[in-house]
Amino acid sequence: MPQSSASDKNVRIVRATSAFDCGGRCPLRLHVKDNVIVRIEGDDAEEPDQLRTCLRCRAYRQYIHHPERLMYPQKRVGRRGDGQFERISWDEALDTLANQLKRVKKIYGNGAILLMTGGGYLASLHRGGAAAQRLLNMFGGYVTHYGNISSEGAVWASLTQYGSVMVGHSREDMLNSRLILLWGWDPARMISGTNTMYHLIHAKENGARVIAIDPRYHDTAATVADQWVPIRPGTDTAVMAAMANVMIREKLQDQAFLDRYTVGFDRFKSYLLGEEDGVEKTPEWAAGISGVPADIIASLAREYATTRPAALMDCQGPARSAMGEQYNRCAATLCAMTGNVGRPGGSAGGGLMGIPVAHMFRSPGIPAGKNPFELEGPKVKGTLDIRERVIKRIHINTLFDAILKGKKGGYPSDIRMAWSMCNNYLNQTGNSNKAAKALQSLEFFATQELFMTPQARYADILLPVTSTAERSDLMRPWPSGPYFMFSNRALEPLGECKDDLEIATELAAKLDIKDFETHSEEAWLRRLYERSTDLKHHIRDFDRFRQEGIHRIELETPVVAFRKQIEDPENHPFDTPSGKIEIYSQRVADIVDGLCPPIPKYLPTSEDRNDPLSRKYPLQLITPHPRNRVHSEMYKVEWLRETEPHRVWINPVDATPRGIEDGDEVHVFNDRGTIAIIAWVTERIIPGVVSVTEGAWYAPDANGIDRGGCANTLTRDAYSGGGAAVLNTSLVEVMKGKRS
Amino acid sequence: MNQFGFYFDQTRCTGCSACRVACKDWNDIPAGPENWMRITYTEKGKCPDVFVSYLASPCWHCDNPMCAAACPVDAIHKREEDGIVVVDRDRCLGNSACDEKCRKACPYHAPQFGPEPGAKMGKCNLCLDRIQAGKKPICVDACPVRAIDAGPLDSLEKQYGRARTAAGFTYAKRVRPAVVFKPKPTSP
Repeated sequence: MPQSSASDKNVRIVRATSAFDCGGRCPLRLHVKDNVIVRIEGDDAEEPDQLRTCLRCRAYRQYIHHPERLMYPQKRVGRRGDGQFERISWDEALDTLANQLKRVKKIYGNGAILLMTGGGYLASLHRGGAAAQRLLNMFGGYVTHYGNISSEGAVWASLTQYGSVMVGHSREDMLNSRLILLWGWDPARMISGTNTMYHLIHAKENGARVIAIDPRYHDTAATVADQWVPIRPGTDTAVMAAMANVMIREKLQDQAFLDRYTVGFDRFKSYLLGEEDGVEKTPEWAAGISGVPADIIASLAREYATTRPAALMDCQGPARSAMGEQYNRCAATLCAMTGNVGRPGGSAGGGLMGIPVAHMFRSPGIPAGKNPFELEGPKVKGTLDIRERVIKRIHINTLFDAILKGKKGGYPSDIRMAWSMCNNYLNQTGNSNKAAKALQSLEFFATQELFMTPQARYADILLPVTSTAERSDLMRPWPSGPYFMFSNRALEPLGECKDDLEIATELAAKLDIKDFETHSEEAWLRRLYERSTDLKHHIRDFDRFRQEGIHRIELETPVVAFRKQIEDPENHPFDTPSGKIEIYSQRVADIVDGLCPPIPKYLPTSEDRNDPLSRKYPLQLITPHPRNRVHSEMYKVEWLRETEPHRVWINPVDATPRGIEDGDEVHVFNDRGTIAIIAWVTERIIPGVVSVTEGAWYAPDANGIDRGGCANTLTRDAYSGGGAAVLNTSLVEVMKGKRS
Repeated sequence: MNQFGFYFDQTRCTGCSACRVACKDWNDIPAGPENWMRITYTEKGKCPDVFVSYLASPCWHCDNPMCAAACPVDAIHKREEDGIVVVDRDRCLGNSACDEKCRKACPYHAPQFGPEPGAKMGKCNLCLDRIQAGKKPICVDACPVRAIDAGPLDSLEKQYGRARTAAGFTYAKRVRPAVVFKPKPTSP
């Protein structure tokens, strides 16, 4: 480790941030000496506006300078997946990839080329997929995937209910709340925007009552919650429906709000009262499903309906389940029933956190152009019919099934080769064992990576790419700020690393593509700024922005989603067909044989706890975010690994009869696979449920037991009716393991 | 002497370890057992009535440091001007030669050693380099929820009160640790 001193004249301070798939974008002051980051300091703004980074970027230099970083191109020499590689030149590596692209195109057509790209680097210019998309579009097209693993259920719910994904309030608005329901939300761990936990603590200290509804007594709950309501996974919608029922029975709903701003409440009401299916959605009904006692459900309903303003904070984790979108839809419906939508201190639900400072999912980037492979496909913009979206693209959580089955399995094409960057989908989508088989079946696989990830092990050609510290780029946090970041290049590229744009540019020459524009990084960044209406609107002085590394937007009042729609509905309709909040969605009803009901409903699913399979696998598995890595990124960073061992949470009620003691190695398994992991016997999880954080690296041993403890070795490669990745609906069994 | 010390707001701490990692980065300590900032954990009760607390544990720069008294070669001393307890690593005999007498003597096990034989003692020095540069220790600046503060103990007492105990912490009268707390109530 390099030594450094604050007074060392040779140390430069570079204002930067990270581009991990993390909700925060935290100002970092990197101390750089001789092309090495020697120390990190955080934001130096005056309090209370300091944006403080979490533990992960505190360990940034161990990530950037990790001895296992890939430093030169390599080709596979052993069997695929064995991880044996040999150093080659960039020329050989890029020639191989270019020749494979040409070969596969010629023999099978462009549909046989799969582009895999993801959130491994979230920023404007160097978002790895953008350059590759542009290149492959000019090359005649490719097949790719649709949807994001994290939030597709919440996106579907928000589009259905509001016609918008910008459903968030800026975080300081929690200070206006008198009651906050943390429904499946743990911002102490899952950084939902920098400083979110700090704002939540302020709200609590300001007198807000906080209730956490969650299978786990997570660290957010342990810090701020006055009450923890343990709930079984996948049953949130049942409890919400029963709360709505109590409100109706006791006439606690804000009927004036419902009449003025919503459509379809009567249909929802008739479902709740059992007029539709003969089953009234009473607290007793929901108690049997969820494990939450009926009297607690009733008191939750009364407290939420009578405390104003109140913020029901749903998120995306419970929505990564077999009927996940129903949870966000039902949460948004409760927000309307209590008149909290569009009101300071309230919330709109919907599980997303975008505030309309800039669009949550759109940021300036290299123009990708149109994909010739998709030209004849349906127009999918705005559609709520997931089946339309998977005619020309593959749902992200069935990516590997598509590789294995191709057209015969109903997928858009037969895939022969894949080119991958900014993702580790083998590890991060459902059913990792299947993913490993699928990668084995490819004729060719090339990947751009920083580390030898579980997925990179299956590559034929490995291309080492630069880290964020070796690039300049434009960035912002998930919730759109309220601020924008400019991350300055701190280091010259390490080893032989190149950035993804450089790689695409060099490939373009090898593929005889003439008009693949090449500009310097500097020129591109200025262009992107000039072309971005969001950035131009907020930032006048680009050079100052770059120098300071951040542009903060002063808010006179907190951002409140849909404020205008509520204050002035005549001039500001919701962006739905009715112009109102759609508790009943005609668009959903019109989908023939639709997979989602037009009103939010609790529905049983396979691998819920009532599935007959539960006799064999009686425990429900949830796979929350890790704290000490970003999904599977930073997995190798020792300073982070040592803060928290990778363990399966299990309640003593489940551990004791299995003879499992705290610290034992156990096997968690189902028909999809087995992981070996240490047990953490804790009262912090509801009985009947076990929890393994996602992102630990898949590492099957000779017997097929995943010694890395990758949660997705156990999860399903399926998606819900609204497109949610079904990663929190898995049945498992746990037994004491033997070290092999 | 103007004794320096810590303030720790246990009601805010989420146990995230940002302070611990920042400490390792600033002080350049490799991964391993040498942790100048440790986070200790307490869990009590039964689901759903569970109590959980975290305790940030650096060195408390005691008024009467047992580590200094236990050191066979006087490698540890308490600074006159600010009461910060520091170690002279050149003088320290290393873990194998003295059997970590300082660590064993400290009621809080603040003295830390690396895993290798002969590793010299290291421990929190309140980021003396930062204090001397007019900054707060890195753990203070790193805490995402502003649960830690440091400075002259009398001003910390004025600002935060004089609570001397917290969940998972016992105030050892014989050493008088330089810390004030906002403890987490064990029952709401």
